[in-house]
Amino acid sequence: MSIPDYMQCAEDHQTLLVVVQPVGIVPEEHFFKIYKRIASINQINVRDSQRVLYIRYRHHYPPENNEWGDFQTHRKVVGLIAVTECVQAKDWPQTAERYHNQKEVFGSTLYDSRLLVFGLHGEIAEQTRTDVAFYPNYEECKEMEKRVEDFIESLFIVLESKRLDRTTDKSGDKIPLLCVPFEKKDFVGLDTDSRHYKKRCQGRMRKHVGDLCLQAGMLQDALVHYHMAVELLRSVNDFLWLGAALEGLCSASVIYHYPGGTAGKFGARKQSISVSAESGKRHRPGAQEVLIDPGALTTNGISADTSSEIGRAKNCLSPEDIIEKYKEAISYYGKYKNAGVIELEACVKAVRVLAIQKRSMEASEFLQNAVYINLGQLSEEEKIQRYSILSELYDLIGFHRKSAFFKRVAAMQCVAPTIPEPGWRACYKLLLETLPGYSLSLDPKDFSKGNHKGWAAVQMRLLHELVYASRRMGNPGLSVRHLSFLLQTMLDFLSDQEKKEVTQSLENYTSKCPGGMETITLPDGLKLLPVPFTKLPIVRSVKLLNLPLGLRPHKVKSLLGQSLATKSPFIYSPIIVHNRGEERGKKIDFQWVQGDVCEVQLMVYNPMPFELRVENVGLLSSGVEFESLPAALSLPAESGLYPVTLVGVPRTSGNITINGYHTSVFGVTSDCLLENLPGVKTSGCTVEVVPALPRLQLNTSLPRSAHTLQPASGEEVSTSVSVQLFNGESQKLVVKLENIGSEPLETLEITSKVVTTKEKLFGDFLTWNLDEVLSQLPLKPGQVATLTVGIRVKLDFSGQESMLQDLNDDGISVTGLPISSPLRQVLKPRTESKPLNSSESNKSGEYNHVKALEAILNFKYSGGPGHVEGYYRNLSLGLHVDVEPSVFFTRVSTLPATSTRQCHLLLDVFNATEHELTVSAKNNEDLVLHAGECQRMAIQVNKFNFENLPQLSEETSNFTNLKQQEEERQHARGFEINSQLDIWEASVEGVLNQLVLEHLQLAPLQWGESQSRLCSLVAMLWLITCVKERMCVIVHSGTQFCLHCILYSYLQWVDSASQS
Amino acid sequence: MAVCIAVIAKENYPLYIRSIPAENKLKFHYMVHTSLDVVEEKISTVGKALVDQRELYLGLLYPTEDYKVYGYVTNSKVKFVIVVDSSNTALRDNEIRSMFRKLHNSYTDVMCNPFYNPGDTIQSKSFDTMVSGMMLQAC
Repeated sequence: MSIPDYMQCAEDHQTLLVVVQPVGIVPEEHFFKIYKRIASINQINVRDSQRVLYIRYRHHYPPENNEWGDFQTHRKVVGLIAVTECVQAKDWPQTAERYHNQKEVFGSTLYDSRLLVFGLHGEIAEQTRTDVAFYPNYEECKEMEKRVEDFIESLFIVLESKRLDRTTDKSGDKIPLLCVPFEKKDFVGLDTDSRHYKKRCQGRMRKHVGDLCLQAGMLQDALVHYHMAVELLRSVNDFLWLGAALEGLCSASVIYHYPGGTAGKFGARKQSISVSAESGKRHRPGAQEVLIDPGALTTNGISADTSSEIGRAKNCLSPEDIIEKYKEAISYYGKYKNAGVIELEACVKAVRVLAIQKRSMEASEFLQNAVYINLGQLSEEEKIQRYSILSELYDLIGFHRKSAFFKRVAAMQCVAPTIPEPGWRACYKLLLETLPGYSLSLDPKDFSKGNHKGWAAVQMRLLHELVYASRRMGNPGLSVRHLSFLLQTMLDFLSDQEKKEVTQSLENYTSKCPGGMETITLPDGLKLLPVPFTKLPIVRSVKLLNLPLGLRPHKVKSLLGQSLATKSPFIYSPIIVHNRGEERGKKIDFQWVQGDVCEVQLMVYNPMPFELRVENVGLLSSGVEFESLPAALSLPAESGLYPVTLVGVPRTSGNITINGYHTSVFGVTSDCLLENLPGVKTSGCTVEVVPALPRLQLNTSLPRSAHTLQPASGEEVSTSVSVQLFNGESQKLVVKLENIGSEPLETLEITSKVVTTKEKLFGDFLTWNLDEVLSQLPLKPGQVATLTVGIRVKLDFSGQESMLQDLNDDGISVTGLPISSPLRQVLKPRTESKPLNSSESNKSGEYNHVKALEAILNFKYSGGPGHVEGYYRNLSLGLHVDVEPSVFFTRVSTLPATSTRQCHLLLDVFNATEHELTVSAKNNEDLVLHAGECQRMAIQVNKFNFENLPQLSEETSNFTNLKQQEEERQHARGFEINSQLDIWEASVEGVLNQLVLEHLQLAPLQWGESQSRLCSLVAMLWLITCVKERMCVIVHSGTQFCLHCILYSYLQWVDSASQS
Repeated sequence: MAVCIAVIAKENYPLYIRSIPAENKLKFHYMVHTSLDVVEEKISTVGKALVDQRELYLGLLYPTEDYKVYGYVTNSKVKFVIVVDSSNTALRDNEIRSMFRKLHNSYTDVMCNPFYNPGDTIQSKSFDTMVSGMMLQAC
């Protein structure tokens, strides 16, 4: 016997072996259909008794195994059911002939046999024969089961007769020696009359009877017989048969202890019957438990019912003993080389029992032993079978790793180099089955969370083998999938060299079969989920970017809009509703615009030791129709964090959620969803897309400046232009507004804002005519509107604040008049002698200092569907003006003129430019100033009407004085300065303001010293009140002209005082 | 003395594995990996019997044709596996025990390193030299 039946289990000892075989040509599917129906009848309750007969069906049984039938009767083929197809009557004799031949094969052991004939009609089919049944076809054979049951009962009758026959054998009779095939020659010439021989015969026969009893459903009898056989055989050292007797004992005990069977799910028995047997036992609580020698009983005395009760406790082995006896039996079998199969099968049976007992350690010892049982030269197929069954048994006892190990060995055996046709398919299938043992699942999601689990070295090996096997199977798609999986999940464990190799082979495979995101379903139903390369490259953060400044949509504020913000009646609540997963779904507080390119920034890095080419990188989104514009990138080896901007255009409006991104690396396309990525930082992935808005592009006549305005005002500027102007100069700025969007521009608003500077600015900085543009609306896509903006720079023309202190230092105050002509010549060289002392050079540096003026022009525009929704865009144009100093009025003073109605305003004018310039004032001749020159000019101005002045204190008087004020302003503006380059206007307003404030403080004191005390007192009183009032006006109205009034009132007063 | 020494984390992945360079590395990986079945089985049965007074030394896990595999499990379920040549009969249980004790002490030192993250592979040099010492002793 050389072919082990690895599926055997202990309870098979009580079964009758029936072979079901096709005779002649029977279609396989029909045969197996019939076979299945027959095999379903595996238990029969024998009439008139509680004994149960178990049948084991085989459709294939090696005849050499049949020869061991005397050794263990369950190995004996006792029944044959032949299935044949016979359509024509003339074929019948041939079929019958074949059937008889078939019977011959197992002839020596057969109790009975049947032939099932399908397809035959007519008179032959009419005949009634017990051993042949005719059915018209494979479907119409309802009574077939009944036939099989009858057949089994006939088997039982033979069995029962044989059992009784053997049981009644008295020791006095000559007992034949039963023996196994390889023993036969050993017994030639032995003394058959010796006690030893007789005992051996007796022992073997007992054991045989035990087998028969077990098969006939008389468990307790069997136990008794086995016990006796053990005693007999032990005394004669007949080890092989002793082993068999012990095993029989074990089998019977196992059947008793584990009525559910030990074969696991495959051979689970019908529980109902064992339950009924169980209940049958309970009916006899008072039954005596005595050890009865069955040999001493008459045949009629042993009924099945009583036998199940008698001697139960003592004859049956305890669960622990079963294992001990199995061990003993196996050790005896081990003495015989030819009994390898028996030993192996016993090991397998013992393991199954131990698995039920949950004694894994001992089971593993049995299995360890089984591994080393040498069955001689095994074919490759048998090796595979053996390793597979070992794997299965290890799995049964919970040793999953060992199981996986053997399964892998079996898989490797399938493709061993000695096999002419390697079974890659089988190898692959077996390898897949090892996955759980190596705690490896082919779902990449299991690896995306947390640390890698499991033994990377062996897992990697297995994956490599899967890749190789699937490639040899001729399924490149599978190998790409496995290789992708290997690369994705084992990246941390691959050495640099391995990374290179794996990616190279991956590229080789994908050149034939590109990897994708579809699920691969294997023929056996296993689904191979797609493997997105979330680690190639690794994404660290995802950030949705706002639109560039000029393109951001703004909502028109309305009363309705406010109600949206407050969902709860409470402004503040200490209870914060924590919502997990909210972060990702969090909405971002800016909007995207339909039809405009929107950007998402990813921070990525390349973990590979070589340059990584990532192609076709795009965004995955939902909610809004989104046109992703794929990009390709090339990341340097082991790069640090690397920003990548992905762009796309939303085609509809609504809420868009960025779910992930897709890439194509090494020919494998992957869709990486953010929710599956661990450790990705994101500040929200949902953003609102508002309906389309027009886009405006500005072109200006001035050059763009690299200089960006400081965002102190809170507004950022999209573009800015810069220009350099002399103080007082004005220039036109032509702004071309082009609608480069696809929606018509319907509304436009222009506002300007001067960015706060230290400098005082006089007059309107920027002026424009809005109607000029509005008349050109609506602006269709591609159309251009023009806007002209006037820039006028008017900064303080006065010198520095220290100027008036200079006046003091020069001793002007002593003269009684603020500025006296004799001193003019003294002062002049001082201002010109800049390099003479450091403080002077500092001052001149301040004169030369270029001042910057900044302003923002805001273009609010809207149109198209976005306008309907109440959105607009704000485009701002930054204007940066570098104001170069032109002229400064370094000193101011007055001189009485010839007419009492007039006086002279004396101004020291300093040319701070590098050019020669001409200063012209109203009613005055032009004054030519060279670069850096300072000259005094006198301007005749009309005196102010003093009588009107007190009225100024009343607010209403502002209007009455308007005329005069205008007049004075005209004086102030009277300086027309002509330079060689251009014409600009300078204002003395700033100069005067400062001057006035300073002089008002100084004047009373000066005057008081040189004039009569009375006058001074009166004047001072008036002046103080006047100043107070004026100051109030300054504070309240913030206007400048009131000060002029004070100046002129002062001048007039000085005049009158000097006259008096 | 030993041909392979392995430290296995609680979650059954290797923290450290070192084998004699002459042999196929993967073979030992498989050997140690499959030995975990026995370790688990032993832990579960021992755990039932004696919870508090547990013997850390698990004894011989299983013999193969060429090697004997011994196991040891710490209280934190970190496993140590030592594979020795079965031809080396000089090695008795006591020697194996002392080897495990040494290994355990050294492992404790590794754990005491504040820069070592529990669960990371062991890269400590002193642990390495100790292991090589144990492996060299035989040769």
